[in-house]
Amino acid sequence: MTRVELTETPSMRALFARAAVTARGRGGDLPDTRLTRTGVPVDPAQLAAYDRVCSFPLADTLPPTYPHVLAFPLQLALMSDRSFPLALPGLVHVRNRVDVLRAVRADEALDLEVWAERFARHPRGATVDLCASVSAGGAEVWRSRSTYLARGATAPEGAPGSDLSVSVGELARPVATWRVPDDAGRRYARVSGDVNPIHLSGLTAKAFGFKRAIAHGMWVKARALAALTGRLPDAMVVDVVFRKPLFLPSTVTLSTAPADGGWDLAVRNATTGADHLLGTVRPL
Amino acid sequence: MAPQTRKAAIVGGNRIPFARSNSAYAQASNQDMLTATLDGLVARFGLQGERVGEVVAGAVLKHARDFNLTREAVLGSRLSAATPAYDVQQACGTGLEAAILVANKIALGQVESGIAGGVDTTSDAPLAIHDEMRRVLIALNGARTLQDRLKVLARIRPGMVVPEAPRNAEPRTGLSMGEHQAITAREWQVGREAQDELTVRSHRNLAAAYDRGFFDDLVTPFLGLTRDENLRPDTSVEKLARLAPVFGTGEGATMTAGNSTPLSDGASAVLLASDEWAAAKGLPVLAHLVDAQTAAVDYVHGGEGLLMAPAYAVPVLLARNGLTLQDFDFYEVHEAFASTVLATLKAWEDPGFCKERLGLDAPLGAIDRARLNVNGSSLAAGHPFAATGGRIVASLAKQLHEAGPGKRGLISICAAGGQGVVAILES
Repeated sequence: MTRVELTETPSMRALFARAAVTARGRGGDLPDTRLTRTGVPVDPAQLAAYDRVCSFPLADTLPPTYPHVLAFPLQLALMSDRSFPLALPGLVHVRNRVDVLRAVRADEALDLEVWAERFARHPRGATVDLCASVSAGGAEVWRSRSTYLARGATAPEGAPGSDLSVSVGELARPVATWRVPDDAGRRYARVSGDVNPIHLSGLTAKAFGFKRAIAHGMWVKARALAALTGRLPDAMVVDVVFRKPLFLPSTVTLSTAPADGGWDLAVRNATTGADHLLGTVRPL
Repeated sequence: MAPQTRKAAIVGGNRIPFARSNSAYAQASNQDMLTATLDGLVARFGLQGERVGEVVAGAVLKHARDFNLTREAVLGSRLSAATPAYDVQQACGTGLEAAILVANKIALGQVESGIAGGVDTTSDAPLAIHDEMRRVLIALNGARTLQDRLKVLARIRPGMVVPEAPRNAEPRTGLSMGEHQAITAREWQVGREAQDELTVRSHRNLAAAYDRGFFDDLVTPFLGLTRDENLRPDTSVEKLARLAPVFGTGEGATMTAGNSTPLSDGASAVLLASDEWAAAKGLPVLAHLVDAQTAAVDYVHGGEGLLMAPAYAVPVLLARNGLTLQDFDFYEVHEAFASTVLATLKAWEDPGFCKERLGLDAPLGAIDRARLNVNGSSLAAGHPFAATGGRIVASLAKQLHEAGPGKRGLISICAAGGQGVVAILES
């Protein structure tokens, strides 16, 4: 395993561009490189903007999804590098698990480490997990596992099957309705730096095979957790699967139900009832 | 049925440090600050998941979307979602009025516990669209045909796109609060030096209170602030003397940015309860809210100063409770401006004012200045309008508790619109 320390946040526009032009001809196994950054401060202005876009209150502790925004550029650097076997354009975020080991204060300097693992078979291609571990003062405080599906890709010989099952209770009753505007992707892109073209406009999304722009999965997850502000355990696992793409604009519903000291969640299309996100929150 | 009444207990309080406008809390909304303040109170008194009787709070500068500000803050806090809440607004009297409302419901046995609070931001302030533009947009909404819509749109003029910022001015006089107070300061001949001295005392007292840990269980740090941002422990009369007047004109102008409160952001909350509720939870009783009074003056046509209403409210409160102005161990007179405090004290000492305006045979007399604003007040802490009442109630209750049982404190707060809210606390 090689550990590479970055001294600054890579430019995500450049990474997306590099990933696009080097998409062809990739293959092989996952790189065993780990990318790290140390002593990363949280920028209060960026945090405030993120809070506004995701409907979190401005507070002294980070929203449970916020460290993802810090780690994602490193994951993108890993995925856009030629050593990564899958082409970034077309990768779809299908599952995300976040472990909040304790509430993280906004004034803590954070150490980040990201890597890829679990190259797995999927009926429609292959999946890969992009992992992140965030530490403060030498102790891990947060970690995440983002599973991406590469349609049509082939996992290596002997790879295990991919696990995309999160089971939730019935969740029959919507508790909230959100009108998700057509600029939701652009707004989240501005605060997260995730400028993947499939989220930005109908035209750029079409280029990658989507009929319209789609919402960021991590925005949907964040927005659902924001709706539970004040009602979440300090330490918890939030595990969600992203099902049907949330096309912009859309009207969706949030359903919640208490379960095992936490919550079961569903975000669904208000008209068709199709699942966009299913997930669980459980105390650690 | 004549209800049995009881005195509401003040259990404790919590506030966030007050910030100067467009500074540490520039990105925070009223709801963010009120929620953080409630959560701090919840943490301090173990109220997680608790349904308190009622949460009452308000803001002076409020967005239209915040019509249910307090309830929304409760829903985002760690209190039980089954906790009722409502908003009040009485300008700078909001926080104290909220405490009085909660205390009265406790006194009547309608609730056993409640939280009173207030919040204000001058940074994340609402902007209104130009009033003519607002009318055009409402008409546009009602227009049925394209032709009608175009006709309505044709009414738009370039000047209408400029939004209207909220002004710290009285709608009926067009004067800012500072300009009003400058008139009062001149009428009462409140000198510049006396104002600056009061200001220095406010800063020194607040700094000393922080230094001795007085605020350790009253303030929770927020967004990097641990103390009130406006606090200048090393200020002096000499330094303040260098500032140019900002309110009033000419020779007689005495009011500066130093001896006036700055625009500020912040929130506060106070936990009130019946003695039984506090005892059952194993929580302390710092003091009781004994009685309260409001008053208003005609500052438009009646020749009275905008901020002089507390001078009228206090004698009514004293008479009802059989007390004199000297029967208090501590006085909390809100420092909207140093000259407000000094003009009010002068008025109570003035035989003419007390006879003609207050209808008293003898003046209320002087107070022992050593008992005035002993832990600092708004000149040093800042004054996020609706948050000031909660700051004062919690601090005074703690001060009375420290001084021992049977101690008495008077709170006097002036408010826009020529109003005043005053109250008595007792340990």
